Amino acid sequence: MLLPTVLYFLIFEYKPMYGAIIAFKNFNPYLGITDSPWVGFKNFEKFFESYYFLRLLKNTFLMSFYSLIFIFPASLAFALLLNELRLKKLKSFLQTVSYLPHFISLIVICGMIIDFTKPGGIINSLLLGIGLISEPIQFLILPEWFRTIYVGSGMWQSLGWNSIIYLAALSGINPSLYEAAVVDGAGRWKQLTNITLPGILPTVLILLILNVGTLLNVGWDKIILLYNPGTYVTADVISTFVYRRGVMEANYSFSAAVGLFNSVINFTLLVLANRISRKTTESSLW
Amino acid sequence: MNVAKRKLVLLLPILLSLVTLVSACGSSNTNTGNTADPTAEVQKATQAPTKEGKTIGGLQLPIVSDKLELSLWSPSGGNFRGTNFNEKLSFKQMEENTNIHIDFQHSTEASAEAFSLLMSSGKLPDIIYNDLWGTDSGKYGTQGALLPLEDLIEKNAPNFKKILVDNPDIRGQITSPEGHIFYLPNLVLDSQDLTQMFPQVRKDWIDKLGLNMPETTEDWYNMLKAFREQDANGNGKKDEIPLVTVNLENIMMLFAPAFGVDYGFFVDNGQVKYGPNDPKFKDVVTYLHRLYDEQLLDPNYLVDTTFQTLTEKVTTDVAGAWFGWSGSYMGNFTTLMEGKHPTFKIAPAIPPKGPNGDQRHVSFRWQAAAHGLAVSSRTEHPEEVMKWLDYQYSEEGILLNNFGVEGKSYDLVNGEPIYKKEVTHPTNGLTNTQELLNHTIGGGSWATVADTRYAEQIREANGQTENPLELYSDYIDFDSKLPPVQFTTEENDVVVPLMADIQTYVAETINAMIMGRQKIEDYDKVMKQLEKMGINDVLKEYQVAHERFKGK
Repeated sequence: MLLPTVLYFLIFEYKPMYGAIIAFKNFNPYLGITDSPWVGFKNFEKFFESYYFLRLLKNTFLMSFYSLIFIFPASLAFALLLNELRLKKLKSFLQTVSYLPHFISLIVICGMIIDFTKPGGIINSLLLGIGLISEPIQFLILPEWFRTIYVGSGMWQSLGWNSIIYLAALSGINPSLYEAAVVDGAGRWKQLTNITLPGILPTVLILLILNVGTLLNVGWDKIILLYNPGTYVTADVISTFVYRRGVMEANYSFSAAVGLFNSVINFTLLVLANRISRKTTESSLW
Repeated sequence: MNVAKRKLVLLLPILLSLVTLVSACGSSNTNTGNTADPTAEVQKATQAPTKEGKTIGGLQLPIVSDKLELSLWSPSGGNFRGTNFNEKLSFKQMEENTNIHIDFQHSTEASAEAFSLLMSSGKLPDIIYNDLWGTDSGKYGTQGALLPLEDLIEKNAPNFKKILVDNPDIRGQITSPEGHIFYLPNLVLDSQDLTQMFPQVRKDWIDKLGLNMPETTEDWYNMLKAFREQDANGNGKKDEIPLVTVNLENIMMLFAPAFGVDYGFFVDNGQVKYGPNDPKFKDVVTYLHRLYDEQLLDPNYLVDTTFQTLTEKVTTDVAGAWFGWSGSYMGNFTTLMEGKHPTFKIAPAIPPKGPNGDQRHVSFRWQAAAHGLAVSSRTEHPEEVMKWLDYQYSEEGILLNNFGVEGKSYDLVNGEPIYKKEVTHPTNGLTNTQELLNHTIGGGSWATVADTRYAEQIREANGQTENPLELYSDYIDFDSKLPPVQFTTEENDVVVPLMADIQTYVAETINAMIMGRQKIEDYDKVMKQLEKMGINDVLKEYQVAHERFKGK
């Protein structure tokens, strides 16, 4: 029974990796991967020498980091709050509503974001209404707002969906533990800190490690749909740069090099996070 | 436009149709003098076809005696009606005339991506269509994907060769730095048809406010200001957006030449320059900042980048001026507002004159377009492919591609092809351009010669009696626009990475200055920064490429 799985990984996951060597070549489709001339680290050097390299790195890191520290705990908190709800109907209603954005196409999401953030849009009207601002803000052309919009909309998109796995973990906690706690006189807060949280901690940590492992993979499609030259300062990330440089100009070797660079960093972070987790707690990926 | 030019323009179609008549009637003896020797050789070399043969400008028909199938890749795009190009009557007729069947392979995805995929797959059809052969053909040609066509043209393409001889500028426009021709382009041979986008303003607003059509940049400022402050649409609200656009480039094409520069590369006395790297560019930014600051330029121009949002602004009667195409902008808006607005009228404005007297129209194409057909190196029938391509440039092919099949979509009236009424005024719910595409590929988007009579008749059918494009031919300066230069691989390695960063920097900085987030007084710093980023190295390569181009 193991064979199909092994075959799957060999054919679809490992064999394509061979193609990654075009990052070290001057790839020409008419010569093929093997016959294209080697160029060593030239493609990597071109990337590192780019005027915007440091800014790209910083933007990529910040955007992912903010997503991680805001969206990750928010999903957990949302799951915990849902879990505390006693009204079953309200609970499932809230759950369904929070899932919905996950199923909307990204193009539509971005259209909605653009509409919401317009000078006459819902966000500006709201802020004007409660008197926080006196003049509408052009959110999408001001670089200082880009990360907030990116992370904020990301939270709206994925909060509900991400909480599912916690809800599953929560339902796996033995109910007799709670009964025992109640008998011992523990309130809801004590139950939360002493039973619920320790109960789902392994899940949380595993998810955290996995998230760290993809830290630098920011959603480039959303950024491309939302950014403009006015917000490049904070919005331009490695993947949008690769899109503009590599894909638009069919410069595959260069994009492969940047992609490889991205993966190496991700891999390093994953190993680090796993090691830290294994040292400090008992859960780890391996 | 002066009288002599107008006469020439009138004369051209007559001349063309005369040639058409001659070549259509003559059966074997159509060497009209220009293509003497090589044609005769070709005729000797090709075997006598079994079907009733004829020659078109030296090309012998049918091209093959036994039916041959060639494959052609093309994104479907807007010229796609039915399931396959072979459903267009013009291509059916073409198959009958040439005895070559084309197996059209259409992509359904976005064309640029589909094209990249096709080219990197290595499995190529005989003939490939692309929008960007002007810059791509050299690259793919050097990689070995495309066939160099010079010898084939010499031996097998009498019609195309004649065009090259009669229009000596074209050869340079399609030759790669290594000296090869890798694609056959769409051609426009009349100068009045070269204009592309142009400034358009609400004539009814101008009349209502008692203004004149703007002639200088100050006129433009005053007009836009009046639009905003004097309630041009008369709804009592200050909701006018005087100048709308889908991108900064269009606004730059409108105003930068008035200050003696371009937004990108341009030529000044034979010297290639980069607009943002020119001290004069500060004046452009200052001017645009003034427009933006007083809300004369759409404050949303960075976000509202789709044609849809622009159309909305125009059709809700808040937009005053823009820079756009004749048909898709001016024609569309006029049709959309018909019956919905009592006075709606758009008029073309001449390119504005700047404070130092600079006045130039920059949005025009070259005779040879960047789009066209290339021959893949994998083809097994290079000669037949070349002959079939040459047929697209024969009088018969030009008529088929532009007008369709005689008697079905057009009639010859006194030797002039005139569209049937069913085409110019279709009753089947299609626009006339769409209906025409049932019959032909449309001469402007194919490797053929775009016939000026096509646009003329559609324009008249749409109720536009004057050609707005004629207004601009006097302001077109061929010497100051950078021609479609091509780079060698080595030059490309210098230019591409440097320009990627420079363009990002320029777009960021210029927009920030227009929006007032960065000080314009510091423009020297921008130029210093561009120098640091290697603009001089880029300009050096451009200069070399330009001189090579001129030398051709």
